[in-house]
Amino acid sequence: MAANDATGRVERPGLFRAVAAMMAAIAVALPVLGGPLAAGPAGISPYFANIVGQIATFALLAIALDLIWGYAGILSLGHGLFFAFGGYLVAMHMLKAGYAYNGVTPDVMTFMGWTELPAHWWGFESAPYALLLILLLPGLLAFGYGYFSFRSRVAGVYFAIITQALTYVAMLLMFRNDTGFGGNNGMTGFSTLLGFDVGAQATVVGLATVSVLVTLGVYLACGRLMRSPFGRILIAIRDDEDRLRFLGYDTLWPKLAVWTLSAVIAAIAGALYVPQVGIINPKLLSPELSIEIAVWVALGGRGALAGAVIGASLISALKFWLTGFAPDLWPFILAGVVLAIVTTLPNGLLDLRLPSLRARTARAAVAHAGARAGARAGARAGARAGARAGARAAARAGEPAAETGQGG
Amino acid sequence: MRRRSLLKGLGITALGASASSFPLPGLIRRAHAADTVKIGCLFSSSGTMANIEGRLNYVAQMAAEEINAAGGVLGKTVEVVVTDPGSDWPLYAQLGRQLIAQDEVASLFGCWTSVSRKSVLPVVEQNNALLYYPLHFEGEENSENVVYLNSPPSSSVLPAVEYLMSEEGGAAKRFFMLGSDYVWPRTINQQLKGYWTDKGFDPSAWREEYVPVGHSNFQTLVNEIRSFADQPGGQPIVVLTVVGNSIPDFFREFVNQGIAAFDVPVLGLDAVEADFEGLDTTELVGHLNCWAYLQNAPGPRNQEFLANWAAYVGANDVPFRPDVAIDPMVSTYDGVHLWAMAAEKAGSFDVPAVREASAGLSFACPSGYEIAMTMENTYVKRGVFIGSLNEAQGYDILWQSEGTPEPVPFSPYMNS
Amino acid sequence: MARRFAAILSLLCLLVPGGAAALDRAAILTEICSGDFRAQQTALESLAGAGAEAGREGALWARAVVQGFEGRDLRCGADAAFIDRSDGLVSAETLEPASPGGDLSAPSVNLRLRATAASAGFVLALFTEESAEARLRAAGRLDRRREAVSAAVLTAALETETDPAVAQAIGDIRTSLLLRDADPARRAEAIAAIAADATLRNRTTIAEALANEPDPAVQAAGKAALAEIDRTLAIGNALATLYSGASYASVLVLAALGLAIIFGLMGVINLAQGELIMVGAYATWFTQEAIRIVLPAALDWYLFIAIPVSFAAAALVGIAIEATVIRRLYDRPLMTLLATWAISLLLINAVRVGIGTQNLEFHQPGYVSGGFPVVGDFIMTSNRLFAIAIAAAAFFAVLALIRFTTLGMNMRAVTQNRAMAGAAGVDTRQTDRLAFGLGSGLAGLAGLALSPLYNVNPTMGTGFIVDSFMVVVLGGVGSLAGAVVAAFGIGQINVAIEPVYGAVAAKVIVLLLVILFIQRRPEGLFAPKGRR
Repeated sequence: MAANDATGRVERPGLFRAVAAMMAAIAVALPVLGGPLAAGPAGISPYFANIVGQIATFALLAIALDLIWGYAGILSLGHGLFFAFGGYLVAMHMLKAGYAYNGVTPDVMTFMGWTELPAHWWGFESAPYALLLILLLPGLLAFGYGYFSFRSRVAGVYFAIITQALTYVAMLLMFRNDTGFGGNNGMTGFSTLLGFDVGAQATVVGLATVSVLVTLGVYLACGRLMRSPFGRILIAIRDDEDRLRFLGYDTLWPKLAVWTLSAVIAAIAGALYVPQVGIINPKLLSPELSIEIAVWVALGGRGALAGAVIGASLISALKFWLTGFAPDLWPFILAGVVLAIVTTLPNGLLDLRLPSLRARTARAAVAHAGARAGARAGARAGARAGARAGARAAARAGEPAAETGQGG
Repeated sequence: MRRRSLLKGLGITALGASASSFPLPGLIRRAHAADTVKIGCLFSSSGTMANIEGRLNYVAQMAAEEINAAGGVLGKTVEVVVTDPGSDWPLYAQLGRQLIAQDEVASLFGCWTSVSRKSVLPVVEQNNALLYYPLHFEGEENSENVVYLNSPPSSSVLPAVEYLMSEEGGAAKRFFMLGSDYVWPRTINQQLKGYWTDKGFDPSAWREEYVPVGHSNFQTLVNEIRSFADQPGGQPIVVLTVVGNSIPDFFREFVNQGIAAFDVPVLGLDAVEADFEGLDTTELVGHLNCWAYLQNAPGPRNQEFLANWAAYVGANDVPFRPDVAIDPMVSTYDGVHLWAMAAEKAGSFDVPAVREASAGLSFACPSGYEIAMTMENTYVKRGVFIGSLNEAQGYDILWQSEGTPEPVPFSPYMNS
Repeated sequence: MARRFAAILSLLCLLVPGGAAALDRAAILTEICSGDFRAQQTALESLAGAGAEAGREGALWARAVVQGFEGRDLRCGADAAFIDRSDGLVSAETLEPASPGGDLSAPSVNLRLRATAASAGFVLALFTEESAEARLRAAGRLDRRREAVSAAVLTAALETETDPAVAQAIGDIRTSLLLRDADPARRAEAIAAIAADATLRNRTTIAEALANEPDPAVQAAGKAALAEIDRTLAIGNALATLYSGASYASVLVLAALGLAIIFGLMGVINLAQGELIMVGAYATWFTQEAIRIVLPAALDWYLFIAIPVSFAAAALVGIAIEATVIRRLYDRPLMTLLATWAISLLLINAVRVGIGTQNLEFHQPGYVSGGFPVVGDFIMTSNRLFAIAIAAAAFFAVLALIRFTTLGMNMRAVTQNRAMAGAAGVDTRQTDRLAFGLGSGLAGLAGLALSPLYNVNPTMGTGFIVDSFMVVVLGGVGSLAGAVVAAFGIGQINVAIEPVYGAVAAKVIVLLLVILFIQRRPEGLFAPKGRR
C-alpha cells in the first residue's frame, strides 16, 4: 500500500541498511583487529577499541531518544537519568562482586565508615539479579513517571523541562553520600565483570564488540518496530495527537510503551558504557549530557534511527578528538553546529535531501492511522472523520516541517 | 537509485570519518623524537576547577624546562604533554588512558580533587603507570601507582587541629565541621571525630554538616554556626572543607553576619590565596588554613622558586598571576623533580624501576623543608604550615612544624 | 581559662596604682620580643591597661605597639624594638624615626596572642579614638569579649568619656562584669544588664552564672531574665527564618521574572536566561570599573548607576538573540530549547575565553556589606536586603508596565490569544521582540542584584534555570503574581526544611513537590482557565 511504502521511506531503507552494515563490519573488525591481528599493520589498540565501544553506547542512547522524540514527538531532556540508572546498577554489581569474590573494599565504605554495604546493595554480587534490575528498575521508573505525566497530558516543553528537573533532582540526590551510592566520587575501581578482569585487553575489546553488537541488535529491532503499525501510530501521535484522540485512539498506552522501551534501552546503554569508562558519578545526571543527547539526535535527524546513530557517532567522535588537543574550541564548535542545524536544517543532516517529501510522508501517516482507527471502530462516522482528517492533513502537507506545538 | 547510493556514500563517509579521526591525536602531536621523553599533565584548564588547577600545567612545564636546562634526564629532553579534562571526573580517566596508550608518557602529573584521582586510579593501576598527585588529601589509599606528593591528614590536618586545641592556638574545645559532600571532607571529618573521641571529647563537642559541591547560599548554615558558637562549652572553631567557589561564598556570608575571626576562627582546609580573588579580606583577617607550603615560607629556595615562577609567567605569557604561588604548584614542581631524580637514579624510564629508585629520595623543597620519599611506600614526607589570612589576600605563617612528620596512609582514627 | 586570665588581669590592675605616671615601656617591649608566650601575653595585658594607667598619651603609644604587633610590623632588635611603617622604621619606645643596627626579626604571633592583642586594641580604642562612633563600635566588640577587660579599665575610660551613648555602652559592660561580685544585688544588676541584649551568647553567660548562684533572689531574677531572653530569641529565630526564606525567594523572583514573561508570552523556554543574568553581572562590573576611572567619588553608588546599564546590556543581548535565532523558531518550541542552550554555551565560553574564569572582584559599599541586628540573634544582612529591594522594585515596575502601557496591553493580548491579537492589529512580532528584550533585561537586573551575594564568573548562571522554570510553572504561565507567590512558597519551604534535613534534601523535596504538583495541576497555581 502507498501509506506503508511512505512510512518505510521516512527511515530511508538505503541509509538504514548502510548504517547497519557499517555497524556489522565494525563488530567483526573489532575482535579480529584488536585480538589476533592487534600487532599487525591494521591492528588497533585497546584504547581505540574502547573509544569505539563508548561511541556505540552513545549511539544506542541516541536510538533510545530518537524513539520517543523522533517518532513520538516527546522530547525528554532527562535521558541521562536512565543512562545513569543502568550505569549505577552495573557499577554496583561490579563493586559488590569485586568485594564478595576478590575482597576489594569499595571506597565508599571506607570514607563513610561503614563495615558493610547498605541494604539496597543486597544481592548485587549476582550478575543475573543485577541484569534483571537493569532491565526492570529504569523501566518501572519510566512507566510510573510516564503514566502520571501522560495521563495529566503534560507535554511539549513542559515535559522536556520536567524530565530535566527530575534528572537534576536525581543528580542532587546522588551527590549526597548518605544515599549510599558513592556521592560525588561515584563508583570506580572496578576489578571484575562476569569473571573477566576489566583491565585486560581481551575484556576491553570484547566489551567494545558486545556494545556494537547490542547497538546493532537494538537498531535492527527498533527499525522493524517503527515500521510496524505501532510505529505508525507513534508518528501520528507526533504529528497530531489531539486528532488521533478524537479519532478514537487511546494515545496514553502507545506513548507509555515507547517511553518505557526508550528508558530501558537508555539503561542498557548506560550498563554497557560504565564498565568501559571505569567510573560513574552523578556528572552523567547533569543537564549537559541530557541536552547533548538531544543534540545528537537533532543533528542526525529525528525520526530516522540511522540519523540518531550517525549524529551520536559524529559528535562524540569529534568531541573525543577535539578535547584531546583543542579543548577550548569544542564548546564553540558544538554551539555553532547546534545553531546552524536548528536554524537551517530543521531535520538535521537528513535535510540535506528534499525535506518536502519527508513532511508529506509524515502527514500521510496521520491519514493512514486515521483510516485504521475508523476501520477498527467499525463506525461510519469514524471512517468519515478519518477520511476528513486525512484530507486535511494532505492539504497541509505543503508546510515544511512536521511539527506542531507539541511535536517540535 | 542514484539518490540511495549517494546517501549510502554519505553515511559511510560520515562513519568512516568518525572512525578514522580517533588515531589522529597521536598523529597530530609532535612526532616522537628519539631524544625526548614525555610526561603527561592532567589538570583542568576549563570548568569549575580551572581557576586554581589550570596553573599546575604551567608549573610542570617550568620544572621540565629547569630539568632540560640542566641536561635533561638520562640525556633526553623532557617534553610535557598537556590535556584539559575540563573538571569532568570521568574525562580524567579517559585522557589518562589516552596519555598512557597514545602518547606513551613516562609518568603522569595530575588531579586536584580526590574524585578525579579516584577516577584515574584504575587506569594507572591497570596500565602499571605512575601518577604524581600534588594535593593534600584524605589518605586511606596506598597505591604503588600513585606518588602522593602531599600530606595525608595525619601529617597535615591533625597537627593543625592539634595546634588549635593547644593553649597557644586558642584552646579550641568545640568544632563545627562544614564540608562539601564528597570523599575528601567526609574522610577528613571521620578521622577528626575519631581523633577527638580519642582525646576524650564528647560527641556533643562537634557538629557535622555537608553541602553539595558548588553550594552558594550559606545563610542558614552560618546562622547555625553562630548559634553553635554561642552555646556553652569553650572556644569554638569551624573546620571548613567546602571546596571551589563555595569558599568565597561562605566567607562572604560569615563576614556579613558579623562573626569575627577571633570569635570563631575558620580553619579552611582547601582555602588558598586564589580563592579570595573576588573578596575584600580586611574583615576576614585571622582565618586559617594549613598546607605543606605557604607563599611566605622562609628561605632562599622559596625566593628562588618565586622568582623563577614570576620569570616564567612573564616569558611565556601565562594567564595566571606571577606573584601568587600556592601549595599544589610547589608540590607539582617537587613531583617533576622527584620523578627526574628517580629516573636518573634508576637509569631507566620504566615504571617499576623508577618506583624502586624513588624510595628515600630527597629534594630541597621551596617550602624550606628537605622533603623525602618514604622507604616503604610512595608517600612524601612534608612539613606543615598553618597560615593566617592577611589583608592582602595572602597567608601569614602562624605556625610551622619542627621537621617533616612521617605520613601515615591509613589513619588509626578512621573507624574509632 | 579565659576567666582565669580575667582574674589575673583585674588583679594586675588592682596592684598597679591607678593613674601611675608612666608605663615601663622598655620592659613591656622586652617582654613582647622575648618570644616567650606567657611573657608576651602579660605584656599585651599591661598594654591593654595603658589607658587606665597612663592616660590618653600612654594609650596612644600602647595602641601603636599593639597594632604593630597585630599587623606584624613590630621588629625586634638586640636591645630595642621598632615599628616598620610605610615611611620607614620608628622606635617602638618613642615612636620617633630611628635607624637600627643589627638584625631585626618579627616577634612570633600565635592565635591566642592575636586574640589578646585584638581585645587590647578595642580597649585602647576607647581611650584614643576621636569619633564617638568608632568608640561605640569598639565597645560593641568588647561586649563580646568581656573576659578580656577589667572593671578598673572601664572606669578609667568612663571618666574621660564625653559621649552619652558610648558612656552607656561602657557602663553596661562594666555592670556585666559584676556577675561574680560578692554582693547579690550587684549580681542581679549584672544579670539585668546582660539580659538587656537578648542573644544566645548572653543567655549562655547568665545560665552558666546561675549554675553556681547561691542567692535565691538572684536565681529567681536570673530565671525570669532567661525566660525573657528565650522569648526574644524565639521571635528572632522565626524572623531570621522568614528573612532567609524571603531572601531566597527574592533571588528566585529575580531569576524567574524575565523567564515568566518570555515563556508566558511565547511559550519559549530560554535556557540562556541564566547567562543573561551573568551578562547583567558583568555589565555591573564594567560599570564599576568605568566609574572607578571616571568618577571615583561616586564609586559607592555604582550599583545604582549600573541599574540601567545592566538592564540595557542584557536586553540588547536578548533582542539580538531574538532577532537572529528565536524568530526563526516560533513554531518549534522544542528547537528553541536546543538553540537557547547552544547560545548559553556560547555566552559562557565567550566570557571564559574573553575575560577569564576567575571570580570578579566587586567593591562592597556599606549598604551591601555587613548587617544590622534586629531582634535576638537575627541579623538582617544588607546584601540580601538589597536583593529583596531590587526584586520588589522590579516586580512592581513590570506590573505597572504591563497594566498601564501600550506594550503591556499588547503583551497581555498576545499572551491571551496570539491569533486574535494579531487579527486585531497588534504587531505580534514586534511585541515578541520587545517582550524578549524586557525579559532579558530583567535577567540583567537579577545579575546586578546578585553580584553582592554570589560569585560572579562565567558559569554563575547555570544553576538558575531549573529553579526559575519551576517557579514559573508553579505560579502559572503568564501570571507574574503567581510567580512571586510560588517563589515565596518555594523559598519558605526550602528554608524550613533546610535546618532539619540539610540543604540538598530541602532542594530535592521542594523540586519533587513541584513536579508532583505539576502532574496534578499542569496549569499551575494561577493560570487563566482554558489555556494550553
